[in-house]
Amino acid sequence: MTHLLYGIFIDPFVQMAAAPDLLVQTLWEGLVSGVLYALIALGFVLIFKASGVFNFAQGIMVVFSALTLVGLNEHGVPAYLALALTIVVMLVLAIAVERVILRPLVNQPDIILFMATFGLTYFLIGLGELIFGGDPKIMISDQLRLPSGSYRIPVFGGYVQMQKIDIAATIIASLMVATLAVLFNRTRIGRALRAVADSHKAALSVGISLEQIWVIVWFAAGIVALATGIMWGARSNVSFALEIIALKALPVLILGGFTSIPGAIIGGIIIGVGEKFGEFYWGPLLGSGIESWLAYVIALVFLLFRPQGLFGERIIERL
Amino acid sequence: MAEALQDTFPRLLLHQARVRPDRPAVREKDLGIWQMWTWAQALEEVRALACGLAAQGFKRGDRLAVVGDNRPRLYWAMMAAQALGGVPVPLYQDAVAAELAFVLQDADIGFAVAEDQEQVDKLLENIPKCPQLERIYYDDPSGLRHYAQAELTSLDALQALGREHARRHPEFFDAEVAKGRPDDIAVILYTSGTTGNPKGVAQTHAALIETARVLVAFDGFTEEDEVLCYLPMAWVGDFLYSYAQSLVAGFCLNCPESPETVMIDLREIGPTYYFGPPRVYEAILTQVMIRIEDAGWLKRRMFHAFMALAKRVGMNILEGKPAPLKDRVLYTLGELLVYGPLKNVLGLSRLRVAYTGGEAIGPDLFDFYRSIGVNLKQLYGMTETCVTVSMHASGEVRLETVGKPMPGVEVRIADSGEVLVRSPGVMREYHKSPDATREAIDANGFFHTGDAGFFDAEGHLKIIDRAKDVGRLAGGALFAPKYLENKLKFFPYIKEAVCFGHGRNEVCALVNIDMAAIGNWAERRNIAYSGYADLAARPEVCELVRECVEKVNRDLAADAALGGSQIHRFLILHKELDADDGELTRTRKVRRRHIAEKYSTLVEALYSGKPSCFVETQMRFEDGRTGTVSANLAIVDAGTFNVAAARKAA
Amino acid sequence: MGRTVGGPILEVEGISLSFGGVVALQAVSFDVREHEIRAIIGPNGAGKSSLLNVINGFYHPQEGSVSFMGTKRRSVDPHEAALQGIARTFQNIALFRGMTTLDNLMTGRALKMKSSFVQQVIYWGAARREELEHRARVEEIIDFLEIQHIRRTPVGRLPYGLQKRVELGRALAMEPELLLLDEPMAGMNVEEKQDMCRFILEVNDQLGTTIVLIEHDMSVVMDLSDRVAVLNYGRKIADGTPDEVRHDRAVIDAYLGVAQ
Repeated sequence: MTHLLYGIFIDPFVQMAAAPDLLVQTLWEGLVSGVLYALIALGFVLIFKASGVFNFAQGIMVVFSALTLVGLNEHGVPAYLALALTIVVMLVLAIAVERVILRPLVNQPDIILFMATFGLTYFLIGLGELIFGGDPKIMISDQLRLPSGSYRIPVFGGYVQMQKIDIAATIIASLMVATLAVLFNRTRIGRALRAVADSHKAALSVGISLEQIWVIVWFAAGIVALATGIMWGARSNVSFALEIIALKALPVLILGGFTSIPGAIIGGIIIGVGEKFGEFYWGPLLGSGIESWLAYVIALVFLLFRPQGLFGERIIERL
Repeated sequence: MAEALQDTFPRLLLHQARVRPDRPAVREKDLGIWQMWTWAQALEEVRALACGLAAQGFKRGDRLAVVGDNRPRLYWAMMAAQALGGVPVPLYQDAVAAELAFVLQDADIGFAVAEDQEQVDKLLENIPKCPQLERIYYDDPSGLRHYAQAELTSLDALQALGREHARRHPEFFDAEVAKGRPDDIAVILYTSGTTGNPKGVAQTHAALIETARVLVAFDGFTEEDEVLCYLPMAWVGDFLYSYAQSLVAGFCLNCPESPETVMIDLREIGPTYYFGPPRVYEAILTQVMIRIEDAGWLKRRMFHAFMALAKRVGMNILEGKPAPLKDRVLYTLGELLVYGPLKNVLGLSRLRVAYTGGEAIGPDLFDFYRSIGVNLKQLYGMTETCVTVSMHASGEVRLETVGKPMPGVEVRIADSGEVLVRSPGVMREYHKSPDATREAIDANGFFHTGDAGFFDAEGHLKIIDRAKDVGRLAGGALFAPKYLENKLKFFPYIKEAVCFGHGRNEVCALVNIDMAAIGNWAERRNIAYSGYADLAARPEVCELVRECVEKVNRDLAADAALGGSQIHRFLILHKELDADDGELTRTRKVRRRHIAEKYSTLVEALYSGKPSCFVETQMRFEDGRTGTVSANLAIVDAGTFNVAAARKAA
Repeated sequence: MGRTVGGPILEVEGISLSFGGVVALQAVSFDVREHEIRAIIGPNGAGKSSLLNVINGFYHPQEGSVSFMGTKRRSVDPHEAALQGIARTFQNIALFRGMTTLDNLMTGRALKMKSSFVQQVIYWGAARREELEHRARVEEIIDFLEIQHIRRTPVGRLPYGLQKRVELGRALAMEPELLLLDEPMAGMNVEEKQDMCRFILEVNDQLGTTIVLIEHDMSVVMDLSDRVAVLNYGRKIADGTPDEVRHDRAVIDAYLGVAQ
C-alpha cells in the first residue's frame, strides 16, 4: 500500500527533480501533441459556434484531407498543386455539406444534425477508401519541403530532442490561430460569424446569409483539418486509424468549452501535456493503457468544478 | 491693450489665447470621438457668440441664463456674456420648469442659452410668467425642427450672426472686454436654501480669480492638467474648479458625451484632478464592489487580500510615513496587480489630487481611496465664500477635519461656536436681497457660515454641525448632535441615530440598526431572528452596538472640545424610523423634535437610569394599514473615557 | 415641412398561411403607403407577427403575393428582403447578446459593406476606411437613440428597455425603406414608452422611413399611426384611420369591446 502511494505521490516528482532535462523533454512532447489536439478541437468549435452543430465528422475530415493530398500526389500531381487542389476539395466539401445537409435540415433539432454528421463520417470513409484505397500512406513531407531531422538542445546538463517537424507544426498552428482570431474579431465577416453564433433569427433579419456563413466555417474547419492531417501524418502515417485522435478532441472541448477558441487552445495544451506526463511518470505504475483514458479523467475532474468549461461563456439567463 | 491685465475672465481668455494658442482648451466627446478646441479656437467661438449676442441687443449688465449639461458652447456662452459686461446665471439642468420660474424672474433674465429640446421646453413653458425672456438659444437642434416660436434661435445661427457682426466691427469685441472691471459681477449662482426661495450669490471677477489663483498655487496646477466637467454648471464647484481654474492655469476642460457616460469618459480622459461630493465617490466604490463580486475567484481573492494590505499600510505609504520593507514590497506588487488596474478602470490612474466636500465623508470610503493611493482630500466652503475656506494640504490629511484655512482666508469662531470667514472670495451680495446680505456679512466683513466648528490642537478646522442645532449640556460642554449621529452612522451596523443632551447632564441616544448589515452579521453567527424588532432586541446585537458607541466615545475623548458629550446610555428602537411615520424627512433626515415628542417616554427612561422601558407605538405598514407595535426595550450603558487635557489652543 | 405620404410602397394581396392544419392568416390583403406609419392591431394570436414574418421572408405563405417597391413575389428569403430595404425588430428581442451595442449596430451595416473577404484580410487599408465610414453612420444612430453610455456593453447585460432601443438601432443602421416593429413598447415603463414614441416619430419624420408596427397599447397606436389594420383570427376585419377603426362595430366587438 505504502509502495503504491509512494509510486503515485512521491516517486514521479523525485524523478522530475532528478532529471530536469527529461522533464523538459516530456513538457515539449506534451505541448506538441497538445497543439494538434487543439487544432482538431478548434475545427469543432468553429462549426459549433456558427451553426450549433456538433460535427462528429471533424476527425474524419482530418484523415480525408490528408488522404486526398497524398493520394493526389501518388497519382502524379506535384505536391504544391496537390495541396492547392486539396484546399479546393475542402471548399467543395463545405459547399456540399451546406447544400445537402445543413440547408435541408435547417430548424431541425440539434440531434438530427448531429446524426447527419455521423452519416457524413461514413460517407467520407467510404469515399476515401473508394478513391485512394484503404492502405496506410506516408505523408509527402519531403515534397512539401517540411523540415526533417531534429535539434539537440542542452538543458540542465542533459539534452532535449526537438523534432524540426514538431517545431514547424507549433509555428503553423500558432499562425493559423492568430489568423482565425483576426478574422473573427477584426473583420466584417468575423462580426457576421459571431452574429450567427449568437442568434440565427437576428442575423437573418439584418440580411446576413446563413448559407454563406456556414460555407465559410465549414471551409475554415476543413483547412484546419488539412493542417492537422499534414502535421499528424508527418509524425506517424496517414490512415483511417488517425480518426482515433478525433476522440482526443472531446476531453479538450469539455475542458475548454464548446464555444471558446482560447478554450480549445489552452484545453488542448493541458490535455496534451497532462497525457504525456501521465504516460511517462505514472504510466509504469498504472499500466500502459493510461494514454487512452487519462485525458478524460483530467477533463472530468475539471468538469466537476467548472461545468461551463475553462472559457465557455457563462450563460446569463434573464427573466 | 495692456498685456499684463488678467483681472477679468475675458482678459484671461485673451491671455491664454495669446500665450498658448495651440494648447487644448476644451474637449468634448461627440459621435464617439473626442473633439478638441485650442485656446485660439475657443476665443473665436466666444467672440462669435459675444458679437452675436450684442447684435441681438444684449447689453452691459444684462443677465444670460445658461441651462444644460456641461457643453463647450454653454461655457463659451457664459464667457461671451462676461465679455460684454453681462452676467451669466447658470441654472440647474434637472430643475423642473416651475423651479426655474423663480430664478428667471429674480435675475430678470432676458436672454437664455439652453442645451437641447428638454431645456428649451422648460424655458418656453415659463414665458407667460416671465415676459421679459425674449431670446432663447439652443445648442442641440434635435427635436426642435418644428418649433416655430419667435424667441428661438440656434447657437449656430447666433454665431453666424456674430461672425458677420465681427467682420463689420472688428474692434468691437476687444473694446468691450477692455471696458470690464475686476469688481464687476462675474456670475450669479443660485443656492438652494433649506427653506424659502433660492438666493442668488453674486460674485465678482476679482473674488473668483483671486480664489482660483490661490487654489492653483496650492496644488500646483499647470496647463498640463486635465479635468472632467461633470458637476452641474450651476454649482459653484464647477464654476470655480472647472471654468475659473482652467482660465487661470490654462488647462483643458473635458466635457462628457452624456451624463450617463461619465464613468466611461473618466476612464478615457484620465483627469489629473477631480472634485466630487462624497456620493460620487460612494457610487464609484459601489461599482467596484459589484464588479469584484462578478469577477472570478482568483481576482476576488487577490482583490480582498491586497485591499486588506492596503488598509493596513496604504495610507502610510501615500503620506510618506515609515512602513516595513516587506509591506512596501507587497504594496508595490499590489499596485501592479490590483490598485493600478483598478485605478485604471476607474479613470483615476493619472490623478494627482482629488477633492471632496459638501458633506461629511464616511471613513471607510475615505480610507478606501487613500489606501489605494488616491490623494483624496477634504475641503470646506460654500458658494458665498467661493468654497475655499479650508482644505487639507497634501501630507496633512485627516479625515475628521477639513484642514487649515487657505492662504488669505481668515477664520474666526464666534462665541456661539459659529464659523466666521473673511477672505477675498466672500461674495459681493445676495442678488436683490440687501437684508439677507446684511444678515450674512457683518460690519467687519466676516461672512457667517451658519456652521458650528472649532480648531483642534494642530490648527485644523473641524466642522461639527449646523450652528442652530448645536447645544450645550447642563455642565456647559458643547453638544453637536449631528456630529455624534454621523459618527455612529459611519458604522455599517447603525442606520440611524438620534442623540439628546441639550440642557441635560449627559448625552443619550436612540439607535436604529441596519437590518441588512446586522442581519448578515447574525446569519454568520447562526443567530436566528424573525424580523427587525426581534433582531434589535437580541443581547448580542446590543453588545455589538455598544462596542460601536464606545468606539465613538473613545474618539470623542481625544477631543477637548467634544469630549464632554460622550454617549452614556442608548437603546435600540423596536422599529425603523420611517418617513411614512413622519420620523424622517423625505430626504431621510431625522426630524429630531418630532422624535423627541413621539418617544418622550423612552427619552425620559434613558435619563431615569431604568434598565428597560416598555413602549407602544403606532406605525403604518407598507400596505397602508396602521397598527401598534409594542416592545420592552433594554437600556444599555456605554463606557466613557477620560477626556484628553486641552492642549495649547491653536 | 415634414413628410408627405405617397403611393403604396408595399402591397400584400390575399395572403394565406397555415402551419400543418393551423391557419395563421387567411386571405389577408393590405397596403402600406410611402412615409406613413401603419399599425396592425388585434388580439393575441390574431396573426399579426405572422404577417410581419411573411413580409420579411421568415414565413412563406401558401397563397397570395407581396409586392414591395414594384417587385411582386410569393415568398422571399430574409436575406433578399433585407437587400430590398426591409428591416425589423422582434417581439421578444433578437439581439446578438454576446456582442456590444456598437457591434450589434455595425452588424446592421453588413449589407452596406462591400470590401471583399480577401481585402479584409490582406488589403487592410480599404477595409479599414470602409469600417470607419460605417462607424460614423452608426455613431449618428447611437447619438440619436441616446445610447452612448452603453456603446461598449454586451447587450445581454442591458435592461429590457435598452435592449429594445438597441434593436431599433440595429434596424435603423440598415437605413431601411420599410421598418417593421413588432411590439416596440412591450414591457416598457411609461418613460421608456415616451422615448420610444419620440424615436419612432422622428425616424418617420426626419428620415422618411415607412413604418409598420404592431402594438398593444391603444393610446400609442392612436397617437402614432396614420392608418390601422385590425386582424382577428387570421382575417382582416377592419382597416382605416385610427378614428374610423375606433368606431368600427366589428372592431369593438372583436377587440376593443373585449379589452374594456
